[in-house]
Amino acid sequence: MMRLTKRRFVQLAGLSIANRILPGPLMAQERVKGRSNKVIVVTFGGGVRYSETFAPEGLQNIPRLVALREKGYFFQSCINSGVLSHFNSTASILTGNWQRVDDFGFQAPAGPTLFEYYRKQSGAGPLDAWAVATNKSFASMGWSSDRSFGQPYGANVVLPKQLLLEAVQEVVTRGTAGGVANRDDVLRRLEGVLSEGYEGIGWTIFQAGRKLDRQVRETLVRGLVEYINGPEAPTSGDELTFFIAREIMREFAPRLILVNFWDMDVAHWGSYSLYLNAITRTDRLTGMLWEEIQTNQSYKDKTTLLVLPELGRDGDKNAANGFLNHRSGDASCRNTWLLAMGTAVPPGQTERPVHHVDVAATAAELLGVKAAGLAGKPMPELLL
Amino acid sequence: MPANTPKVSPVLQALIDKGLLDSLPRSFAAFCFDQMKDWDLLFPAERSYFERLFGLLDRSSGPVVERLFQPLRELEPKMGMNEKNWPRGQFTLEQVDFLNRNPYYPEWRAAVAQVFSQLDPVLDADAARNGHARLVIVIAPAQLPADPGRMWTRFQGRGKRVEIDAPERAEEFLPLLLTGEEQGRRAPTIAHLFASGKKGGAYASWIVEAGAGVSRLGPEAGAVVKYSYQSLGQYRKRLMKEVQSVVDAQEIAGPRQLSARLRQMKILASEGDLAHDPILAEFARAILLSGNGTLLINNTFVEWAMVQAVRRARPSVAIVGFGIRNKVKPFSSLLIYADQDASNPIPSQMDTLGSYVDLEVFYQYVWQEFEKYAEYRNNTAYLFVGDGMEEMLAIAPADFPLMTAAGPVKLPAVFGHLKDWLSI
Repeated sequence: MMRLTKRRFVQLAGLSIANRILPGPLMAQERVKGRSNKVIVVTFGGGVRYSETFAPEGLQNIPRLVALREKGYFFQSCINSGVLSHFNSTASILTGNWQRVDDFGFQAPAGPTLFEYYRKQSGAGPLDAWAVATNKSFASMGWSSDRSFGQPYGANVVLPKQLLLEAVQEVVTRGTAGGVANRDDVLRRLEGVLSEGYEGIGWTIFQAGRKLDRQVRETLVRGLVEYINGPEAPTSGDELTFFIAREIMREFAPRLILVNFWDMDVAHWGSYSLYLNAITRTDRLTGMLWEEIQTNQSYKDKTTLLVLPELGRDGDKNAANGFLNHRSGDASCRNTWLLAMGTAVPPGQTERPVHHVDVAATAAELLGVKAAGLAGKPMPELLL
Repeated sequence: MPANTPKVSPVLQALIDKGLLDSLPRSFAAFCFDQMKDWDLLFPAERSYFERLFGLLDRSSGPVVERLFQPLRELEPKMGMNEKNWPRGQFTLEQVDFLNRNPYYPEWRAAVAQVFSQLDPVLDADAARNGHARLVIVIAPAQLPADPGRMWTRFQGRGKRVEIDAPERAEEFLPLLLTGEEQGRRAPTIAHLFASGKKGGAYASWIVEAGAGVSRLGPEAGAVVKYSYQSLGQYRKRLMKEVQSVVDAQEIAGPRQLSARLRQMKILASEGDLAHDPILAEFARAILLSGNGTLLINNTFVEWAMVQAVRRARPSVAIVGFGIRNKVKPFSSLLIYADQDASNPIPSQMDTLGSYVDLEVFYQYVWQEFEKYAEYRNNTAYLFVGDGMEEMLAIAPADFPLMTAAGPVKLPAVFGHLKDWLSI
């Protein structure tokens, strides 16, 4: 059986539980009084075009967001002016500055992330900031390379789909009866991978946090069980992302979460129908996340939800290959939207262009955090 | 002149020896070097393009060329380009990454676009002067759950729906359309006839398809280029296995090294006739390893192969056969390089509705790609056909015979019109 060291686990299984060896509060702390108690940023990772979402012909793909738009504040134009790669786009959202680091995630964001600003200023514990994402390179998304911030103030980064990948490949390699269609077998492997990797990490970095380790692990396993035994065949990495994010909310109630959905990046495969299905699934999961916010007492009436595409995709008439890619830099690639939801968010919409870097600046204000030197500007529409 | 100057044609070599490329902006010259470095693996149309491009620059006066490249030349130092990060004659993933992450990238793209906006009209006029009638037939599979009114919806208004008198025996639909005869006669297809004609030759006629039925029509020998997703199955499975083993072994330091490794994964003679032609063999490798999803989805392979063929080879006759893709099995998205049948015992099922949605976009993309090039504009007849369907969509110049056809047309008559159009 494969031996997972911490390094291998972080790199391959994709789970990074940050900074648990630090002394201090283990559970969520709320030391800073902000306008909004909690902030959840949901990205349509992988990229989605206006034409398949909030353009008139795209509304049929996102019924939940269309309904939510009536209650929230809709920015018709949210522009990604940075590098049109996944890591840099999301890092720009989280840092408030356009990031131009190594595309494959070998470099951490160059400036402090929102997680770091928040935790450093508030003294919040390590369980109060989470990133639930998909792409392996996002293991570097939790904290920046800035030496005055960095890992001690970073977020826990969980990449559920990478765990799934390890487990499924193991099932395939072993050639068990039923292959990956055998849900019990897949679940056993998922738990196995989680245990091997997690124990390895625990032994390496924990001095006194073993109990916490178990708590995190049990939380993640609950998400896995719900996913595997769900009513539908578990085909989607995003569904697992949702279940894990929901369990984290229920167990730790962090004040700051990034949920990076990813299924729609299937567009690279060249199937328009699969791309549309993924958009609709992400729409549904985002709606379910909002329902969780509305029913979870730790979040109800104290949360701002910011939903936006990480980037767009190439236009149909572009010289590249249309929806398959996001490399052209055309308007279809850069011009997206942003939907804000929350008790403190007034219903409305605006044509005023905002940018991806404005998200961190706005979230910082909502959390009562001062973030200096950001290219992004707070959105006054959400700071009434 | 850099030491790694590619081996090119004598005409182009003479221009390089005169220092033409050295006088161009660093990024422009590097890109051209890279494109020409495997000269022997370029299609004739590509070689001709570079000869015409640099011939044009050579013929132009010094001040004109200087003005043409001035914005790009001014931009490059601002971007931080120098001999160290942009050595002459090198354009690798590192240079691509440099561009992508540079704050001036949008301006660089605009400057390059500006250069070509001035060069292309001259080159296009040259291509148009030497133009001839061309033909593109795009075939949808018989299993699509749509009638003619719901086909080709994205651009139906650009052409004319032609009523077809379909044969009673459905299996004769494509043979009658493409050869004018029932398949038992093994008559040559329109692609074969053009390839063997005076405007034909190697790489002039292409068949790209998901299945293998169209490729089997007509004589086996001939100059028709054939790419079949189905027929490349053995090669595809080996590539998936090799890529997976490379990934599993973690021997590759980064994308550049992976790219170099992938270049070695050539098709074997036992895996297809394409192996006998180095240009076509390399094209197959590139399509399967650098195209998104081409290893996994039959119609993605067809679309990307055709788009690349248009960009690179400029075929005069193209027959494009799409198919039905299978439904995605649980966890398939995680097992990109695994044999789906082996990893999941659930039988594969056709996704006819999903394929219909996929193809509505691909029809448009394929048609658009042809129309981007001067060789095709105003002299190409496009037939969008559903296998067994009683109507087809024709987009063509007004003098294409089917544009004025009345009443149901029999398929042998359609074939006759195609021959007339191509002057065969």
